[in-house]
Amino acid sequence: MSALLHFRWLLAGQKARLTLTLLLALTAIFAGIGLLGVSGWFITAAALAASGAAFNLFVPSSLVRGLSMLRIVSRYGERLAGHDATLRMLSDLRGWLFATLFPKLPLSLSPRHGDLVSRLTADIDALNTAFLSAAIPLLGTFAAGSVMTLVVFLLVPDAAPFYAAVFAISMFVVPWFLIRSTRRAGLAMVEQASDLRGAVLDGVSGHADLVAFGLTDEALRSFDDAAGRLAASKRATARRSAAAQALVQVCGAAAFVTVLWIGLDALEQGAIGGPTLAGLLLAIIGSFEAPAMLSRNLGRFSASAAAAGRLRDIEVSAPRVAEPVRPTPMPTRFDIAFDGVSFGYGNADVLSDCNLEVLEGEHIAIRGPSGSGKSTILQLLLRLYDPRGGVVRVGGQDLRTLALSDLHRRVALLEQNAPVFLDSVRGNLLIGDPAADDRKLWQALEAAKLADFVRSLPHGLDTMLGETGRTLSAGQARRLCLARTLLSPARIVLLDEPTSGLDREMEYAFLRDMEESLAGRSVVLVTHAELPAGSGMRALTLKGGKLEERS
Amino acid sequence: MNPIPTELAVDNGRDAEQRDRKQSRWLSGLGRQGGRAMAVAIAAPVVAGALLVVQAWLVAGVLGEAISENVGRAELATSIALIVFIFVARAGLTYLAEASGSAAAEAVIQRVRLALFAKVLGSRPDWSAERASGAVSAAIVDQADALEGFLGRFLPAMIQATLLPVAFAVVVMPIDWIAGLLLFVTAPLIPLFMALAGWGAEAAKRSEAVAFARLSAYFADRLRGILTLKLFGRAEEETRAVMEASEGLRQSTMRVLRIAFLSSAVLEFFAALGVAGTALYIGLTFLGMVDMRGDVLTLQAGLFCLLMAPEVYQPLRLLAAHYHDRAGAKATIAEIDALFEGLPDLRAPVSMVTAPVVRTGGDAADIVVSRLTVRPPGRSGAVLDGVSLIVPAGEHVAIVGESGSGKSTLLEAVARLRGYEGSIAIGGAATLPEPALREKIAFLGQRPRLFHGSIADNIRLGRRDASDEAVRAAAERAAVTEFSDLVPLGLATPVGEGGLGLSGGEAHRVALARIYLRDPDLVILDEPTAHLDAATEERVIDGMLGFATGRTLLVATHSRALASRMGRSVRVAGGQLLPVLGGRKERAVKSGGAA
Repeated sequence: MSALLHFRWLLAGQKARLTLTLLLALTAIFAGIGLLGVSGWFITAAALAASGAAFNLFVPSSLVRGLSMLRIVSRYGERLAGHDATLRMLSDLRGWLFATLFPKLPLSLSPRHGDLVSRLTADIDALNTAFLSAAIPLLGTFAAGSVMTLVVFLLVPDAAPFYAAVFAISMFVVPWFLIRSTRRAGLAMVEQASDLRGAVLDGVSGHADLVAFGLTDEALRSFDDAAGRLAASKRATARRSAAAQALVQVCGAAAFVTVLWIGLDALEQGAIGGPTLAGLLLAIIGSFEAPAMLSRNLGRFSASAAAAGRLRDIEVSAPRVAEPVRPTPMPTRFDIAFDGVSFGYGNADVLSDCNLEVLEGEHIAIRGPSGSGKSTILQLLLRLYDPRGGVVRVGGQDLRTLALSDLHRRVALLEQNAPVFLDSVRGNLLIGDPAADDRKLWQALEAAKLADFVRSLPHGLDTMLGETGRTLSAGQARRLCLARTLLSPARIVLLDEPTSGLDREMEYAFLRDMEESLAGRSVVLVTHAELPAGSGMRALTLKGGKLEERS
Repeated sequence: MNPIPTELAVDNGRDAEQRDRKQSRWLSGLGRQGGRAMAVAIAAPVVAGALLVVQAWLVAGVLGEAISENVGRAELATSIALIVFIFVARAGLTYLAEASGSAAAEAVIQRVRLALFAKVLGSRPDWSAERASGAVSAAIVDQADALEGFLGRFLPAMIQATLLPVAFAVVVMPIDWIAGLLLFVTAPLIPLFMALAGWGAEAAKRSEAVAFARLSAYFADRLRGILTLKLFGRAEEETRAVMEASEGLRQSTMRVLRIAFLSSAVLEFFAALGVAGTALYIGLTFLGMVDMRGDVLTLQAGLFCLLMAPEVYQPLRLLAAHYHDRAGAKATIAEIDALFEGLPDLRAPVSMVTAPVVRTGGDAADIVVSRLTVRPPGRSGAVLDGVSLIVPAGEHVAIVGESGSGKSTLLEAVARLRGYEGSIAIGGAATLPEPALREKIAFLGQRPRLFHGSIADNIRLGRRDASDEAVRAAAERAAVTEFSDLVPLGLATPVGEGGLGLSGGEAHRVALARIYLRDPDLVILDEPTAHLDAATEERVIDGMLGFATGRTLLVATHSRALASRMGRSVRVAGGQLLPVLGGRKERAVKSGGAA
């Protein structure tokens, strides 16, 4: 609940629309109650009237028509305004998620990355539905209950406390019971849905592996188990929601019968007229439509609250690296220096007392066994982590004193698992340099040895690429990401295995051309490739957490 | 960057119509899968409807007698007790209907999910490689949920809407034939007007569902690469782009909803006319202004008609409220139909048990490829064009060639992981049952998947009953222990979905270790030493060759070190296979023209 309150700014952003929605909802509720009441009163009064001459027919019949129309129009408006507000909140939430995530990156969350993505998207949707499905009906129900209690008090005073109590039960106690009893199933449901999603992702991305090892039946069985667990949780939630609805119905019956019983006594005493009693009883039936709707909508409330909790956790989590409070301006030179840097992910140190100096414009290659920490050096240079000991400097400035966005603008990285985005070739490249013209794009593609392939595509630069670049071969996807990095105007370029998608000849050509295409910029290259003979590049080897000059 | 593409494929009218009809048939067939729970979910509201008539009659009777005949409440106690009983019984039926509706829906959804997943796993891996994994998981996990509303709410509501309005009108008939006739005539007209308003909404709803799916894919895609976007300084632009795309979807959705909600407003309008008309007619009859009945209308009869009038329209309103559940389900079905190229047959049970294969032989298998042609869908021209290759049993062959030339395609075809034309015989057999084939061949793809679990779990995929010692030995052979021994948990270290947490070279070696737990006649490896430094590569190759002794080995590689230790090399270029005689000479010719 407190997690949901954390997101009340969402409601504040749509204050006007939500107020309108609430007003329209109230209008619809009262028009509905009034309609039943007036009709009951009108018919009874007409039956009791001796003749038509003495009966004012005009007022009740136009009230009946007017209330009907009012209810139709306000219901239509309420639904429209409510959905509009919901969708606006969804846009706000998505924007919020991105704006929140960017400064927190890289997240130190669970390694199930694909799962994180789908969980975030599902959480956003779940949270978004919480407000409208709970807030508006709750307020509408409260207003309906209060007004009807007053009406009952005025007409059959003895019945008012009973009515108020029963209505309160159906508005507060039943929803509270529902929310409490579905909390655990709601939490389980989120976990189970992500298990199921994980099973599908494993099945699709690992399809070839499963088939090759004859494990498809086993995968099917564990998928079916996961689907069964999810279905069981959903059934449990639905049963509780059904019980809540039945309870509200029982509350409505109790209110009706109580008012009837006490009202009949009042009728005998002459304290209330027959037509009024008939109208009141019909209105009471109508008044329980609002809490019934509330209980119907609350089934998903627990899931929404859980989603809100997880999203709040992201917002309040501390980023792995902290922005300096008062950043130093970016230096004008871009020499790189590692002074006695030590770093490790777990207990073991990957780097220990590691020193490195790269002058502006210099190209160096870092080599070393797999897993020796070569990529770590690049990550430290972008300040994706802070070193445990020692200092990383650019232009003589400790990285920790520089604004991260300034640093990222000056340092470009080609990661080992760089993503291809669901976008055109052009869109993917423009991430590197949004201002680049076609000439520059082709230049980068030539440098990455991908130009011929892109020229052969049906729409050239505007060809759309599938999710994670599935329509590209691993090598082509790699080269596209390389081209993107080459486009970046950054003064320091970090390349993690840039040639892993290239064959020997292309690799050789790329490394040979690189000196020219990246001339003037500092380059740190992590590679297993042999450097071309006559390359002026300084090669260093990372061994035992230290960089050694290679003879 | 481009915003999400929103253009919709324009369907050929007749095909679309046929497809649409097929999808509707499949959808209505779903209800029959719900079994007894579905029957209860449908029957309970109908029974509750019958009870409602009795309840209305009793309520009208109590009020009528008390008000117009001044009967004391003590004498009405029996009727009131009966009213309480019926109220409670109807509440019980509500519970029954809701709970069984959900039970039926969840059971059917589970079957649909399983059938879809079985379809994914039952097709060739190149089929799933063409599909975005996010879209498939969204369809199976998230979109399948859209059937819940259709099965649990729409179907029961449809039955109620067919039976109850007419039944209620008929019940009113003997009480007052004019009121009954009024209800009898107006109720069936409503679906007609609703359909008129709903048709436009449904087409719009479908295009909106497509836009929604695209937006979700776009959103997930950007989330996946969010770190890259941050490092390129795209935080503000991407945040804005996401919000703009979302806003665009809101506008198109609102256009749809304005029409969609209109259809329920139309319904409410007619229901209101009917109720108001009934009320007015009865009022006028009481006042003697209208006299179309022979006898006097009692207050009980009048109130009964008034109470029943809104109930005649209530099932139709309920149906309208759940109409979008059907539209949502249809849109989902259409999405699934397109994504999975057809809807699964739910009547056929999904088999999940394989008979164990008895291993026979164990000799190296020869490969005879003749006139093999592979045309990947969505690409013009063949990647491999009528190639032939003979690999004698026990030979080790390297497949070399530029990246994108078709090395992986060739290996996948030999491993029966993609479709092809021509023939491929392994160990003399052109067709082998799937389980036997998989026992015979071990395959490591270019992008092997690390599944959620520990490193040891992932290696054990090779053979489920492998002992810890065997797993350890396989890990050592693949040089996995070189990095796993450096972390406290060793082989028990969890590795994530997508293999995050391990470097590319490390993930590849884990996948390689799987193969060492098997006893294949033919080993097919696609770039097994990518991402490795020279020293590690040498150790990995040693392990690999030790394992491949006495087996046939087919390796695609860019690595000279690996190719030089194979028996011979074959180059893939321009869709053809060329023998590589002197490796050095070949390279000298090629290096000038590399692009």
